[in-house]
Amino acid sequence: MRRLTGAVVAAAGLAAGAGACVALVWGGYTTPPDLVGPTLALALAVGWSFVGVGVLAWLRRPDSWTGPLMVLLGLAWFARFVVAVATPAGFVAGVLVGSVYLSVLVHLVVTFPTGRLASRAERVVVVAAYLLSAPLDLAFLLLGASRGIADGPPPNGLVITTSTTAFSFDPDPVDLVVQTVILAVFVAVLVLTLRRWRRAGAAQRRVLGPGVWGGVVVIATIMMQRTVFLLVLPATARIVFTWAAQVVLVVWPVVLLAGVLRSRLDRSAVGAMMTEIGTGLAPLQDVLARTLRDPSVLLAYWLADRQVCVDAHGVPLAVGGDGRALAYLERDGVRLAVLEYDAALADEPELVRAVAAGASLAVENERLQAEIRAQLREVQASRARIVEAADAARRRVERDLHDGAQQRLVAVALALKLARRQLSRAAPEEVAALLDQAGGELSSALDELRELARGIYPVLLSDAGLGPALDALAARSPVPATVVAAPARRLPGPVEQTAYFVVSEALANAAKHARAGEVRVAVSDEGGLLVVEVADDGVGGADASGSGLRGLADRVAAAAGTLEINSPAGVGTRLRACLRSAGDRVTPGPEQGQPGDGTARPGEL
Amino acid sequence: MGRIGDVRAGVLVVDGHTSFRTFARRLLVAEGFDVVGEAANGASALSAAGALRSDVVLLDVQLPDVDGFRVALELASHEPPPAVVLVSSRARSDYGSRVDASRAVGFLTKADLNGAALARVLNLPCAG
Repeated sequence: MRRLTGAVVAAAGLAAGAGACVALVWGGYTTPPDLVGPTLALALAVGWSFVGVGVLAWLRRPDSWTGPLMVLLGLAWFARFVVAVATPAGFVAGVLVGSVYLSVLVHLVVTFPTGRLASRAERVVVVAAYLLSAPLDLAFLLLGASRGIADGPPPNGLVITTSTTAFSFDPDPVDLVVQTVILAVFVAVLVLTLRRWRRAGAAQRRVLGPGVWGGVVVIATIMMQRTVFLLVLPATARIVFTWAAQVVLVVWPVVLLAGVLRSRLDRSAVGAMMTEIGTGLAPLQDVLARTLRDPSVLLAYWLADRQVCVDAHGVPLAVGGDGRALAYLERDGVRLAVLEYDAALADEPELVRAVAAGASLAVENERLQAEIRAQLREVQASRARIVEAADAARRRVERDLHDGAQQRLVAVALALKLARRQLSRAAPEEVAALLDQAGGELSSALDELRELARGIYPVLLSDAGLGPALDALAARSPVPATVVAAPARRLPGPVEQTAYFVVSEALANAAKHARAGEVRVAVSDEGGLLVVEVADDGVGGADASGSGLRGLADRVAAAAGTLEINSPAGVGTRLRACLRSAGDRVTPGPEQGQPGDGTARPGEL
Repeated sequence: MGRIGDVRAGVLVVDGHTSFRTFARRLLVAEGFDVVGEAANGASALSAAGALRSDVVLLDVQLPDVDGFRVALELASHEPPPAVVLVSSRARSDYGSRVDASRAVGFLTKADLNGAALARVLNLPCAG
């Protein structure tokens, strides 16, 4: 809302107040002289405080409906005074608008501080509150003749005074029902408010606090006044409660004004925040939480290359969720961090924006630290996994030796002993058969040792390079495998070994898990990038977090490469590793560099 | 050799590898032992030892199902308990103090197995 509109609305509020005074004093009804002063003072205080604070709130928070609702309440409050104009038209209008201000009050309390209806229950209560004012009064007016009040004096409510008629317990049943429904609406308002309070976080409670509890006091006072009416207590008690209800109506807007002004104070807190960030003493997240006065504030650093958010310790975390709002901290259009905060603060978007802008100046340093910590954690984890994998491989070699070649050699030893013993006692054919058996066990043992040695390290890879080694690997694969492309030149040892390992693991997986019928291996070497692709036609659905593929990813990462696994169920598995084939080392090609000059020799397993 | 008192010692050979069981049986029989049965794992070893009431159990330490040391412990509770001789393709020192702590009467590496070695472990008079 622009300032001019604000001034116009404020002027309208002033005029409405003046009109109310005129109506009460010169409207045509007689009013006890000693009550005119207090009645007008209180009426103007209530009406003008709502209009005034409403205009202020409207100016400060154009996106909230709270300001307009407060102005409406103030105007509705003054509109009641039209009933003091002693004409039938005045009476009718007065009765119709007489309780509209209460409906607006319910609307205001239920929807504070956004002024927007957020749930079905809130909608039901607010609609009921509006139906109970003008529409119900219209119904009463139409039935008015039968109730004998059509030509009566202005009803009580404008001037609070003891009824001149003798007090008697004779409430109309219709009145009782209506009053009960009104009470039920007020109870529903209290229930909604309490529920909202219980669900609110610290920041939200800070926003809700003054408005909601002030509103509860107002509603509770009006409820007591209504209950008093319902219970038909002595008229003196009614007067006390009616006065009280109007006094709290003055106090509430003032409390709300404090809330509106407080946001202005928060802005100066941004300056203090910048100073504190400058000292670098407290963690940024703590400073932001303090500035926004929301202890639940979470600052997550965005790692673009890994597409994850991490906290200051580099631990990945998920942001967002129910009741949480996000603000992005950016610099030169690059996202650096995400600020997650209580959604209640969304009512103070300027504050959050200011805090986010201020923090983004300081966040880069902390983000780099978080990124380094995240990398360190990942490296530590992968280092542990690599050591574990190496141990597991050694255990496997020991077991393979024990169960395979060693057992065969034991059999050879026993067979030879037996043959020696039988040499002089048994038929030569029997001894020859024993020696044949020993020979058979020996050659099996040799086969197994050869296979084992090749598994420990493929000598063809260091002797002849990746192409021949992959051809040999494919030829031995249990699943038919074709190497469709492989680089002709020699590459640095670690690159060749990693590429070989990728293909070897992929072929083993294709045989073990994929139920594949065919595997295609393609290795391209272009522009210093070695791309290893292994695709099978198996069942797919490979688990990238399983120990096998995880180990493969670690191995590729250790060579500063990347591994992609694409394994949709039913389509097959495609594995793609990208490695830097140029690297920092000199590439000993067949025509330059000598085999065995050390630059490209494979390391240990 | 191969006799406990006047009776030939009945040997049960327990090992997961068929080739070892076959050659061990032939070698021991050739050298005067009475091989009464073979078992390929710990569970069948325990039931065979009970049924055959074998005097000697030649027991591989690394069986496909259970640890040989546990089988040795179980066998020690049989009545009468058979003499358990542990065998392995590994060396005795690979098992640290576990062999000494077990109820087995001795340990032989598989390649060293023959009648004389078994008799020595069993403290039988060696007839050569």
